[in-house]
Amino acid sequence: MPGELSLYSELTGRQLLTYLGNLQGQVDAAYREKLIERLELDPTRRIKSLSRGNKQKVGLVAAFMIRPELLIFDEPTAGLDPFVQLEFEHLCEEAREEGRTVFISSHQLPEVEHLCDRVGIIREGRLLAVETISALKERALRRLEIDFVGPVGAEEFSGLPGVRDLVVNDGTLRCTVMGSVDALIKTAARFEIHNIRSIDTSLEEIFMAYYGSGEAVDDNSAEDASHAAA
Amino acid sequence: MLLRNVFTKTIRDLRWPTFWVSLGCGAMTAYFALLFPTYSKLFDLNSILEKMGPAVKLLGASMGDASTLVGFLHIELFSMILPAAIAAFAAGVASGFTAGEESRGTIDILLSYPVSRRRLVLQKWLAMVLACVVVVLVLWAFAITGAALSASVLPPDKLAAALVMLVLLGLAFGDIALAISAFTGNRGAAIGVTVALMVAMYLVDALSSIVDGLGVIRPLSLFRYYMGGDPLRAGLNLGDAAVLAAVAAVFLAIAVLAFERRDLAA
Repeated sequence: MPGELSLYSELTGRQLLTYLGNLQGQVDAAYREKLIERLELDPTRRIKSLSRGNKQKVGLVAAFMIRPELLIFDEPTAGLDPFVQLEFEHLCEEAREEGRTVFISSHQLPEVEHLCDRVGIIREGRLLAVETISALKERALRRLEIDFVGPVGAEEFSGLPGVRDLVVNDGTLRCTVMGSVDALIKTAARFEIHNIRSIDTSLEEIFMAYYGSGEAVDDNSAEDASHAAA
Repeated sequence: MLLRNVFTKTIRDLRWPTFWVSLGCGAMTAYFALLFPTYSKLFDLNSILEKMGPAVKLLGASMGDASTLVGFLHIELFSMILPAAIAAFAAGVASGFTAGEESRGTIDILLSYPVSRRRLVLQKWLAMVLACVVVVLVLWAFAITGAALSASVLPPDKLAAALVMLVLLGLAFGDIALAISAFTGNRGAAIGVTVALMVAMYLVDALSSIVDGLGVIRPLSLFRYYMGGDPLRAGLNLGDAAVLAAVAAVFLAIAVLAFERRDLAA
């Protein structure tokens, strides 16, 4: 399904879905009607009178109704309300459970992180990385904050492997760690600790790390594959 | 159901244009057939044409004998208005077949279904053929009815022969527009070039009886084959029909090949 979806505006939603179903060959009409219901699409309205989000729903029904082995979506949830976004996620999960594959190209990184098993990062047409989300996070930077009961000196931690951006202030240590946090934790354990917070790296931060901070990322997107077999 | 495939969907898209063009051409023909006896009583059309001299030949009156309904229809309709109407109709719809889907962006989703580019062009083309046939069938019925009501002589078979030539001329220009639009993806260019070509070919054919030098290039004009054999009086000239059909077939083939090979701008 293309990001810029153009449909026959003079047809109603159901007419268009009928036409596309006929072009495909066999379509389970009951399943189509169920999809229309689940996405809360009014199939009697002409496409030209539909909002962007509702057109998107027509496209989603068209894509899912033929139960393809491989679904490719470009920015599938742009313009959708949160309820329909959630339904879209359910539909993707159902496709995955049935052993089918969904590719999503998206700038909505929280959505990708939430929905996808594997992520590919593309920059200027080159595939920079293909990893599972967890592996990507494993290798990524981790932000740690440790509250000590008493004051600690920054020099105790500054030389530790993988520790960066170290700031110690009023007994609170803040840093980013690349790779294992083992050395940091063992050093910190020599002092009395009040609390440790590990701030999970979002896909967005990993993504920015790949792109370098502050660079234009307009034409690039994160791409995902959710694989049932993987 | 008209949403079964690309052919039926195109028929659905063309139903109103076809209706109006059929009605327009049919009503015009019936009007002339009905009023012919009145005209011929009021004016001596042949002497008027005589007085106008060479100028009238531009209007296709070169073989004009306006004292019969056949000759009258030939001069008034079949020489210019009807061929221009059907060629413009065919070129207008054909230019929108692939280029229209491209400019609307619907080609994206259409070709993501198991429809080959060849089938797409051929099914749409077939719908255009049907639309042109419907137009001339309506025209035939209106003309025969008009002639019967005015008690004028209009042989149905000769009229049919002229209408076959009319359809073939329409298809030839329609296919030219189809080929240009398939090649360029530009609907405006397809209509513009086809209409310019049509006007040029018409002028070459009409003027060749006045201007000697044009006789050499007259065979290049499709109008030479369209009414050259005088089908309204002599019936169908198979050679002329074959030339128009061949031109249509060649441009259809070009359209298919061009559309199959081009990197579509979607």
